[in-house]
Amino acid sequence: MSENTVLKIQDLRTYFFSRSKQVFIRSVDGVDLQVNRGETLGIVGESGSGKSVTALSVTGLVTAEPGVITGTIEFTSNGVTKNLLQGLEDFVTFETVDGRIMTLEKDNRGWQKNVDRLVHRIRGQEISMIFQNPRVSMNPFMTIGKQITESIMLNTAIKNAAEATDKARYWLEQVKIDSPNLRLENFPYGLSGGMCQRAMIAMALSSEPSLLIADEPTTGLDSTIQSKIVDLLVELKEQVGVTTMLISHDINIISRLADNVAVMYGGSVMESGPVERILAKDDEYKHPYTAALLESIPDEEHIKLKGHLKAIEGDVLDTVNIPDGCRFYSRCNRVHAKIEDKCRHTEPDLREISEGRLIRCWLYLN
Amino acid sequence: MKFTSIRPIAFTLARELVITALLLVGVSFVVFVILYSAPGDPFALLLQGQVSAVQNSGIHDSLGVPTTWYGQYLSWLGNISTGNFGTSIRTGLPVLAEIVRVAINTLYLTIGAMLITLAVAIPIALMSARQGTTAVTWPLTIFAYVISALPVFWLGYIAIYISTHKFGYFPITVGYSSSKSLGFIPFLLPIAVLGLGNGTISEVVRYLREEMERVFAEDYIRTAVAKGGSIWKHSFKEGFLIPITQIIASKIPFILGGAVVVEQVFNWPGMGRMAWQAAQDRDYPIIMGVVILAAVIVRMGSLLQRVVYVMVNPRASQE
Repeated sequence: MSENTVLKIQDLRTYFFSRSKQVFIRSVDGVDLQVNRGETLGIVGESGSGKSVTALSVTGLVTAEPGVITGTIEFTSNGVTKNLLQGLEDFVTFETVDGRIMTLEKDNRGWQKNVDRLVHRIRGQEISMIFQNPRVSMNPFMTIGKQITESIMLNTAIKNAAEATDKARYWLEQVKIDSPNLRLENFPYGLSGGMCQRAMIAMALSSEPSLLIADEPTTGLDSTIQSKIVDLLVELKEQVGVTTMLISHDINIISRLADNVAVMYGGSVMESGPVERILAKDDEYKHPYTAALLESIPDEEHIKLKGHLKAIEGDVLDTVNIPDGCRFYSRCNRVHAKIEDKCRHTEPDLREISEGRLIRCWLYLN
Repeated sequence: MKFTSIRPIAFTLARELVITALLLVGVSFVVFVILYSAPGDPFALLLQGQVSAVQNSGIHDSLGVPTTWYGQYLSWLGNISTGNFGTSIRTGLPVLAEIVRVAINTLYLTIGAMLITLAVAIPIALMSARQGTTAVTWPLTIFAYVISALPVFWLGYIAIYISTHKFGYFPITVGYSSSKSLGFIPFLLPIAVLGLGNGTISEVVRYLREEMERVFAEDYIRTAVAKGGSIWKHSFKEGFLIPITQIIASKIPFILGGAVVVEQVFNWPGMGRMAWQAAQDRDYPIIMGVVILAAVIVRMGSLLQRVVYVMVNPRASQE
């Protein structure tokens, strides 16, 4: 682990249990990720690929059972590295059949207590989060000002209410909300979605975190507001420069904000690397899923011609019945006879094929 | 509190008071009609067939009792509006003073009972909302359901039996004189019986737990936890304050109803016992007075609930 790594996730597995079907939903199934100091890591993938659950797992906010099963989440701040899943194995016992978890017992209450202890003074203070749907993510019974000053007083050296209010005003100005003084007194219901998201961003930044996790920050907003929020995030990235984990299914947002990108599919990372390489259509390495994702974005030419939009064939992976082989096998259009057997039966590893470039595909693993 | 936030509360109060006034007229009318159509009247009871029908109507006239039912109701309503509740037919004492004298006792009993109900139900509700069903919360919830299923009169007699036979004092003398000084215990026993036996504990537990769990699952609570804030602080208003005032307001009639029984069982000199006695005697002015006061107390509960809701909810108070 290099000096510059802020967050390193290894083999994270977060499962849920479906009572009606009596099966595990393997929402996050062996995720490896790394976020370096000062950079923005974009996590992209379709809905249901496990992006948000990964983010919630980092801060111990997964409430459904059984939740996090295995993995390490190493978080470094001020030179101290801490595993946020320390001692997880004491709370979980499971049996595997063919490398698959079949039966599982977890002391969820004990684990939650342990997590709360581990992330104490990290959650909020070191890691801030921005959620989607800002209007329901802010407390409707508290003024915007109170909510931001609470965050400041909990997480920074400022313990004086008047100073905290000044600081809250400062952050509201930073996120370019109109009439910040008035907004301090407003309740969330009086604000539009865009204003709420600005306030939410102000609140997240006000604790001066080492890592900002933005979980679909533009989802649930009008498209015009979306682009304004992205503009704001780009500006803040230059000014504040906070290390960010940005989750989005929108490749445009990722391309504007991210330095590195991880592409997720079916609860696992398929490919990761620098944004310009991952999003370039003509890169020498390309995971078939990423290629299909990029294909599905219409370019200007395409829109002018009013051509049909390209969708990826097939459905999003059923995270209940994960196949033995490659997760993308059933939708992959680049399988050929030489590798087909492997694609069908053996899951490829996420392997580094060039500097900072990881890929999980049999096409490149020979 | 700022002036701008007082105005909507004043508005709510005013509206609720108007509704209360209309409701009281409605309630008194319905009760009056029921009383009027019930067999027997105070004269029949007082004179016990000693006079003829002619003499009887003469007595009505000489006492200034209007003969038509609406005439009687309107004259009662007219007196009420000037604060005159009339005099008790049985004792001849002014109704208002009599009722106020015993209402204090009923308030002790019902407020005390309400506090006991809440003191038992709230911890169970909050614990099970936070922890789910565990080896501690499950038996407590079962206990709440069992205790709520016990009829209050039965619980009262059991309490009397135990206190008399096992501890050697006789709680039936409560409120009058007691040769032995027992301190607060004789007062606490009926309050505890009504508090546990009014049948609302399980409902408070269930309602509060459901509301609390719902709020815990809200996105804004997740945000609060993500910023290192307290889950209790952020869920207090929506998850606790609003539901608890709602359930208190809706359970006041049940507790008043239970008070009638408990006052009988323990000879507690309250409104319930007075109403019971008045019903036996066809003492219409007393019955009407008690009904009006009971309706006022019930309305006060929902008034409190409305005011708290408006105070707490910025949407309601600012729009």
